[in-house]
Amino acid sequence: MDVVWFVFFAVLLAGYFALEGFDLGVGLLLPLLGRTREGRDRMVAAMAPYVLANEVWLVAVAGTLFGAYPALEGKVLYGLYPVVVAMLLSWVLRDAGLWFRRRAGGTRWRGFWDAMIAFGSLGLSFGWGMALYAAATGFAAPAVHPLGLMLGMVVTLLFAWHGWTFLAWRAPGEFGAARQGRALVVSGAVAALPAAGVLAGAMPYLMEHSAPAATLNVLSLMVLPFAPIMLGAQVWVWRTFRPGKDAFRLPSFF
Amino acid sequence: MDVVDLARTQFAVTGGLHFLFVLLTLGLAPLVALMHTRWARSGRPRDEAMVRFWGQIYVINYALGIVTGLVMEFQFGLAWSGLSHYAGDVFGAPLAMETLVAFFLESTFLGLWIFGWGRLPRWLHLACIWLVTLTAYASAFFIMMANSFLQNPAGAVARGDRLELVDFGAMLTNKALVFSLPHVVAAGLFTGGMVLVGASAYRLRRGAGEHQDFFARSMRLGVVTAAIGAFFTLGFGYAQFAGVQEGKFENTGAALGLAVMMEIGQLLVLFVLFVMLPMIRSLPRRRWAHPLLIALTPLPFVLAIAGWIAREVGRQPWMVWGRLTVADALSPGLSAGMVAASLGAFAGVLGLLAVVDYALIARVVRRGPGGNDLGAGVPGENRAPALTF
Repeated sequence: MDVVWFVFFAVLLAGYFALEGFDLGVGLLLPLLGRTREGRDRMVAAMAPYVLANEVWLVAVAGTLFGAYPALEGKVLYGLYPVVVAMLLSWVLRDAGLWFRRRAGGTRWRGFWDAMIAFGSLGLSFGWGMALYAAATGFAAPAVHPLGLMLGMVVTLLFAWHGWTFLAWRAPGEFGAARQGRALVVSGAVAALPAAGVLAGAMPYLMEHSAPAATLNVLSLMVLPFAPIMLGAQVWVWRTFRPGKDAFRLPSFF
Repeated sequence: MDVVDLARTQFAVTGGLHFLFVLLTLGLAPLVALMHTRWARSGRPRDEAMVRFWGQIYVINYALGIVTGLVMEFQFGLAWSGLSHYAGDVFGAPLAMETLVAFFLESTFLGLWIFGWGRLPRWLHLACIWLVTLTAYASAFFIMMANSFLQNPAGAVARGDRLELVDFGAMLTNKALVFSLPHVVAAGLFTGGMVLVGASAYRLRRGAGEHQDFFARSMRLGVVTAAIGAFFTLGFGYAQFAGVQEGKFENTGAALGLAVMMEIGQLLVLFVLFVMLPMIRSLPRRRWAHPLLIALTPLPFVLAIAGWIAREVGRQPWMVWGRLTVADALSPGLSAGMVAASLGAFAGVLGLLAVVDYALIARVVRRGPGGNDLGAGVPGENRAPALTF
């Protein structure tokens, strides 16, 4: 069972990078590609239908960490206290930006929340690089380390590129380039590489600290039957919102 | 304040904010699903207006439920790693199920419901909001199961310096869970009903013009919902005393929370059942009563917070009743400075967002039906939803 739960955990974390990576990337590109309010509306509308289905992968990562690796959950999060707090605040502001930007009129209102989306996406992307570096060193390195900062930069650039590929796939030509679905799969896989690398290195350590068999059995019995439904719901999202002339609709709720 | 007080305050502030928003989510979700069902069957524009108006309020409220919930989930590991070290093998299971089985699906289906408007076939679109409701209630179940374990650690035994899960069935039938879950669920319906009543009263008190019928129907639905919720909140509230821990309400905070909830709660329940419910037909026309109905809207929220304080402060000084103290559950090495900084940041950001969120809900109520972003059609597009695939 510990192997099953490691695979489950790894798929969730790598999946988060591949999926939420492009939402964060679009957020990062918002001030660069969306010079006008209309342009930003189009960018947000392009990613809007996916955001709720994507960000929830990290919620599932944290839940799995608590359920399957309770001995590590506190160690990981506490070991990264200032980084985790900054990432949570970034996440909160990014989400608030998405939900609030169109809830009131006025260019300044929307501009402010668009800035929050960009700022939050930057904080979260950069924080991931720092967190992955700290995890790779077993939380021995200080929270702010030059190599961590460098990895933060790398993850940020990867997400930005992934977000750009997503826009080129979802609305070909609208923001410059046009890309096929294959290109999006490739950029997603590349965006997930930093997480996959750390996971591969941490595999023996994670397996060693799995919850006892009784807990894993209960979790398996309760959760694994729902895994096909979780997957099915995600597939449904991707089948419902496809590229083409219907790529995004304005007005969009976000 | 020492580091334990600061960390407790941080949890109380984020948990309290989270509770305010999820309480209304639990109350509104089934109501919006019912409205959507009526619209799917009739296809009438006036039924669609109901879904879009109350749905808009529901999703704006939902936004704060999400962001406060994110902070809640990660806070266990940030500040209370002693809990996951000692009881994580047991306590982690319901939390993992909440995130994996319930919230993962809830968030995915909510995205489909919001953005699938006019895009999904009619009955599949309807299915989305019912799935959102179902998974929201599953979330409530798992969270109450985790909380009840802290109140009464049934189904676990201590092995060495940690708790081990031995009987999952005992966790499911925990005496701290069986009556508190329906109590909270009913309180959510009570709250959702009172919000419908209060918002409708706000619109009706000076004559709602073309929307008179819209808000009269909303108010009646609200009264019925509030009456059902109030009845079961009260009933399951009293039923809980059978299983409560000894000496639970002896500290001042818990006693005060309990007194506020029971004294004000009973009066409000009596008012709903014996004044509002009998007057249900004429209430939308009785404008003199509307300022009072508006003033009552915040009360279910106050009562819920009071009840939550009674339950959680009453658990002190225990994190896991009789097994682990709150002080021992703190992350080792946590400093007061760290918690003070994060507490200030979380309270500041989430507090401001909560104020903005309520202002946005009030704005939707003031503007009334029509012009809601939720389900807004693309200009010039034929929005008749397909009947079949």
